[in-house]
Amino acid sequence: MARPAVRIQVVEFGVLVGLALLVGRAAQVQILHGRRWAEEAQAQRTERIVLQARRGALYDRHGTPLAVTQETYHVGIAPNELRDPAADGALISRRLGLTARTWQQALRRRYAYFAGPYSALEVQPLRSVRGVHLESVLNRFYPDPAVARATIGRLGDEGLGASGLERTLDSLLAGRSGAAVVLKDRAGREYESPARVIAPPVPGLDVVLTLDAELQEIAQRALDDALRRMDADGGDVVMLDPGTGEVLALASRQRDGSARPSAFTDTFEPGSLAKIFAAAALLSLRRVSPTDHVSGEGGKWSVLGRTITDEDPQPSLTLADAIRVSSNIAIAKFAARLTPAEQYATLRDFGFGAFTGIEFPAEATGRLRPPSEWTRTSAASLAMGYELSVTPIQVAMAYGALANDGLLLQPTLIREIRSAGGGVRYRHRPEPVRRVVSQDVAVALRNLLRGVVERGTGTEAALTNFPVAAKTGTARRVVNGRYAAGEYTASFAALFPADQPQLVLVVKIDNPHKGSYFAAQTAAPVTRSMLEQALAARTVALDRARLSTAAPRAAAAPADDDGGLVPYVVPWPYQPDSAGVGPRRAVPDVAGLGLREAVRTLHRRGFRVALRGWGVAEHTWPAAGDSAAAGSMVTLFADPHAADRVRSRGGAPPLRGPRR
Amino acid sequence: MAKGRHWVALWLVAFLVTTWLVYARQTAAIRAARELADLRARRANLDGHRADLERRIRAAESRAVLVPRAQARLGLHLPSDSEIVLVPAPSGSR
Repeated sequence: MARPAVRIQVVEFGVLVGLALLVGRAAQVQILHGRRWAEEAQAQRTERIVLQARRGALYDRHGTPLAVTQETYHVGIAPNELRDPAADGALISRRLGLTARTWQQALRRRYAYFAGPYSALEVQPLRSVRGVHLESVLNRFYPDPAVARATIGRLGDEGLGASGLERTLDSLLAGRSGAAVVLKDRAGREYESPARVIAPPVPGLDVVLTLDAELQEIAQRALDDALRRMDADGGDVVMLDPGTGEVLALASRQRDGSARPSAFTDTFEPGSLAKIFAAAALLSLRRVSPTDHVSGEGGKWSVLGRTITDEDPQPSLTLADAIRVSSNIAIAKFAARLTPAEQYATLRDFGFGAFTGIEFPAEATGRLRPPSEWTRTSAASLAMGYELSVTPIQVAMAYGALANDGLLLQPTLIREIRSAGGGVRYRHRPEPVRRVVSQDVAVALRNLLRGVVERGTGTEAALTNFPVAAKTGTARRVVNGRYAAGEYTASFAALFPADQPQLVLVVKIDNPHKGSYFAAQTAAPVTRSMLEQALAARTVALDRARLSTAAPRAAAAPADDDGGLVPYVVPWPYQPDSAGVGPRRAVPDVAGLGLREAVRTLHRRGFRVALRGWGVAEHTWPAAGDSAAAGSMVTLFADPHAADRVRSRGGAPPLRGPRR
Repeated sequence: MAKGRHWVALWLVAFLVTTWLVYARQTAAIRAARELADLRARRANLDGHRADLERRIRAAESRAVLVPRAQARLGLHLPSDSEIVLVPAPSGSR
């Protein structure tokens, strides 16, 4: 038996060796293998995740959200973790919209996964249910999916813009993903910690579009109604602000109900819509004067082996008449005064045959062949809007140039770009492309277009109180490279109001089957309907202060100011646009009518009106019952007290000449 | 000998206090993380609720809903332009 001191020394040695081993092992774990164990522990307690960046929202010009990003959820169910499978199952099935069969199948699996995505509202009651695991994911959401669907586009499976503006603006909207480390508890539940964000996500920029949601709805509904009523193959509506080039509404619809962006991508022959561009060249180059006439050839004219016809034959026409009644013969004759190079350059200047540059991923240039590829009849065809293919957006911009005093602007769909904090990064400014015609020529062209609505082919688009300038176009449709028999494209381009236009509208109806195929009876009434709705709408982007002065100024004139001639509907000084004598008609009796109704009645009978005086219609010169040539001037005399005098005469029209 | 026991006791107390501090800090952090997660869930829920309400308001305000109802219930109609009166702004007003 060893001595106690020896035993103690042995124990001490043993403890020492034990401690040394412990320290050695600790050193091995902490120092030699420390990094590996630390990583393993880290992996058990934490997880590195990607923080999705919020995709920027798209708004209309008034701030109405058109596309927003929201948190949605995938739902995972661990059946063995459910406390009360029957009660929990009923709740889960109800919230996720599962059938009893689907739920029973889910219960048989170790882990059931429902991709959804489900909204926060749908999964809210499931948050406290044990065994339910929510995986949040940001999802694109379109508050009103039908609004401008083709223009806005959609995201693809990867969450990137696949079509429309979602695609064009993807780099702005997408933002930049971040990364973070989340803590996990024993059950594997994840907890975010603000201190463990490695790189914060950078949200995408918000984009305010130029679209006006209310105008867009008006356009879409009007187009849908028209296509249904006319049993048409499809159609497009474009509305834009000519002063800025901002597109306010774009509606496209095909017969099958689909809505591809055909306003940018589908071309058509504009027909008579293009006549105004031939007129622009003629006026700019001074190849025609207001009094120049050409023969109407009785409505049928053969030239270079081709027969050109007019729907409304006229004996003799000025350029204004050619536009007003949409005469193919007259415009072809006038266009012969232009060289091919001049005609081509004018159409090119108006933007045909080239991209407009709008921010859309797909756009067609249309077709405008250079003069070297023309045939002998090309000049006449182009003047009538054939041998030329255009997109609705090109037509809208070209008419926008007429509205904008001759300056062609680049169209845009983007009004503002804002950071997530609300700061403005970009604001659209009108971008002139080129001056196409001088201001004087633009004004003259607008007056020609005004005549179309007041006395020509576009009267179906006329508004009572607001002057409209417009042009109709009815063209044969090309199918598989040939003109299809009995198929037409009806189109209408309008400037509203005719003075200082605020709105350019282009309506195109493809192949209407029911009723007339002429634009005057198809596209023109659609335009009027949209204008009336726009005027009545609360938020539509119209400057009503300017419109109120565009409305009959006579309404605000003092009652005692009955001295001079008051311009009313007919531009003053009046320039006669036809020396041809129209058929004679009886002047209607308008005595006792309100001024507006009297003027409207005279217009309906085909007379022009000059006003003298103010108040109630008293008599006309020529007098009621006399015959006068259609299109000639009738002077309407009014007096505030005329109503009493007319009543006392029993409504008989006074027969006297103009007061001096 | 007694002095050594004091040191041991002191180290033991220090160890316990440190351990308690670490435990308390971890517990508080976990609690804060849970609260953060709950708040995020609530915010997502409210965002979803707001979006749902906005969608319903938009749908109710749309012309597709309003116009037929106004016509059927109130006998209203879309005005023609002759029924629309735009009052000119007084001169000098902004």
